[in-house]
Amino acid sequence: MTLPSLVETAAGPSGPRVRASLRGTEVVLAGLALAAFVVLAVTTGGNLVEPATLRAVFQFLAVPMVIGLSQMVVLAVGQMNLSVGVLTGLTAVAAAALMADRGWPAWLAVLAALVLGLVVGLANGLLVVLTRINGFIITLATMTIISGVRYGINGTGTYQGYSDGLVSLGRASVLGIPTVFLAAVVVAVLVWLFFARAVRGRQLLASGGNPLAARLSGISNDTSLVIAHALSGLLAGVAGVLVLALSGSVNASIGDDLLLPSFAAPIIGGVALAGGVVSVLGTCLAAFIVRLVDVAQAQYNINPRWVDLVVGAVVLGAVLLSQKRIGRGGT
Amino acid sequence: MPDTTTSTASQAEPEAPAPAPVDQRRRGLPWWANPRVGLVAVVVALVAIFSGLRPSFLDVDLTLVPMQADITVFVVVGLAQLAVLSLGHMNLAVPRMAALSAFAAGFTYDKLHAPLVVGLLAALLVGTLVGALAGGIITWTGVNSFVVTLALDFGLLGLVALLYSWFTSGVAFSLHPDGMDALRSDTFNDYCAGPICGPPVPLVVPIAVVALVVVGVLFRFSRLGREILMCGSNARAALLSGIPVSRRVIQAHALSGLLCGLAGWLLAINNGAFSASVGENFLLPSFLAPVLGGTLLAGGAVSVVGTLLGAILNSVIQKGLNLLQFEVDQLQIYIGVVLLVALSLDRVRHVLADRRGVRP
Repeated sequence: MTLPSLVETAAGPSGPRVRASLRGTEVVLAGLALAAFVVLAVTTGGNLVEPATLRAVFQFLAVPMVIGLSQMVVLAVGQMNLSVGVLTGLTAVAAAALMADRGWPAWLAVLAALVLGLVVGLANGLLVVLTRINGFIITLATMTIISGVRYGINGTGTYQGYSDGLVSLGRASVLGIPTVFLAAVVVAVLVWLFFARAVRGRQLLASGGNPLAARLSGISNDTSLVIAHALSGLLAGVAGVLVLALSGSVNASIGDDLLLPSFAAPIIGGVALAGGVVSVLGTCLAAFIVRLVDVAQAQYNINPRWVDLVVGAVVLGAVLLSQKRIGRGGT
Repeated sequence: MPDTTTSTASQAEPEAPAPAPVDQRRRGLPWWANPRVGLVAVVVALVAIFSGLRPSFLDVDLTLVPMQADITVFVVVGLAQLAVLSLGHMNLAVPRMAALSAFAAGFTYDKLHAPLVVGLLAALLVGTLVGALAGGIITWTGVNSFVVTLALDFGLLGLVALLYSWFTSGVAFSLHPDGMDALRSDTFNDYCAGPICGPPVPLVVPIAVVALVVVGVLFRFSRLGREILMCGSNARAALLSGIPVSRRVIQAHALSGLLCGLAGWLLAINNGAFSASVGENFLLPSFLAPVLGGTLLAGGAVSVVGTLLGAILNSVIQKGLNLLQFEVDQLQIYIGVVLLVALSLDRVRHVLADRRGVRP
């Protein structure tokens, strides 16, 4: 199911061209990220490269990275998932409730959070396949339901001190690199391996790129859709666990502000919204750039609302640029 | 009940086989496959259930009058989404277009001391311009409407908050123009000509009725509306038939913006405050009302009456569950479930209709 688009192209953009364009995007993003980082470091008088600041920058990069990947997985099959943000919140709150109220050990609660994310994602995928309704509408509905459940668990109360071990692990560093960031990198590598090496991952891309050709090649598009949504849910669960480990206190508002980052990272990273193209590196770099906007806001004491404005403008600009580069722009 | 779906003659899809013969098409869908019939039945059943459980559901002042005011807003919100669904586009910026328009109205009232109507015009103008901007970006770049309006929504989210922090002391404009409070709280029942008073209908209701009629006439009878529907049905065919597709896209998005502006203004009037939170909760209802009413997401067919019924259903559920003392979070769960069930039923109807040899 591709998104409605007014511009009809007789043939989709050819493979090598897209790949070259993606690589170009990744190089540009890497350059941009480096330049932005240097400018920020210099203009803040070296404040940014202090170990404590640097650690915070990467600690709070982990969740946007994983949530961006979560969105990227469904974009790969030409779908979208509006429920990633609230699902992250739900898994975090549910795991905290299991630990704090039921006394579950941390590892079991973490496992439960991941399973919960997977199950909800699976439900999204099955609903999309069984009802044949646009995934956007399905996940809009499940987003509403999930946010209700998320508040239902503990109302507006906050969970704190659910697991000292998990939180100290989440705030620890290995060789100066925060553990949560390492976890996000591991997840990113796994996602990259899935799309680059696994048969199932290639099938997902084939379904997203050209459903008809995929079907004729013996790929079940329905299976691809279900797997993509399930994987997206699982990654949202991972993001929930990261939130849990990092923040030390969770409440029902977690995840409300994750919807924009979830789309911003893959779109800026050059992932095609029509499906069939993914860029794990681009998504991670874009998440880093968005994070730098956040850092700049904090460093210069700018009104936080500017971040939304800037990121919105950057997303729009990125889409326009990539559209021009692939050469589909203009009517 | 006549088939109120306004659609273009052909619903050609790229992958669809040869179009169904004409005589089959003339038979149309069986009556039970008409979503409007189902909606009326569901609304009637729900009203019966709710008023059975809580007799106060039929209380005029407590329930019916506020519910009409709610429906007024949500009908216009639904129409705003419907205007672009007609193209097969989406407008995810409905909430923030409404918020920006409400800001414009509040600004004219507070800073320029304008009368009520001038603020309304300012809201409509701002909404139209932002909508046209979205449509312009979509046509000039060929980028998907979903992405453009999503990015626009986030951009506007920041902008609206900044504007309120610059131009107000707090989070809302405090000055109310003459007539605003009357428009908010009065019904026609408060105005009597001798012994005869009007019905207990809020003063804002006629505004939504006007919007409904105008949008309905536009898509059913006007050349502009028909051409927009054709663009939604098959943009390529429309282009080859000499329809200026780009212009129609911009016009449809401008119409959506205009209706967002109206919805934002109406909600601000109903709430009695022009604040940055106006329109926050518009996104789901904006899809709920038209989609429940049978408007296709793929474009090319809209149902204005269905949108009204969808908005009524939404408000009846909200009000009923509210009276039964459900919490907000439970309310959200049920609204989401209703949307899923309604859409699934729609799918079942289509499959059944297909089996009987009638193409929807």
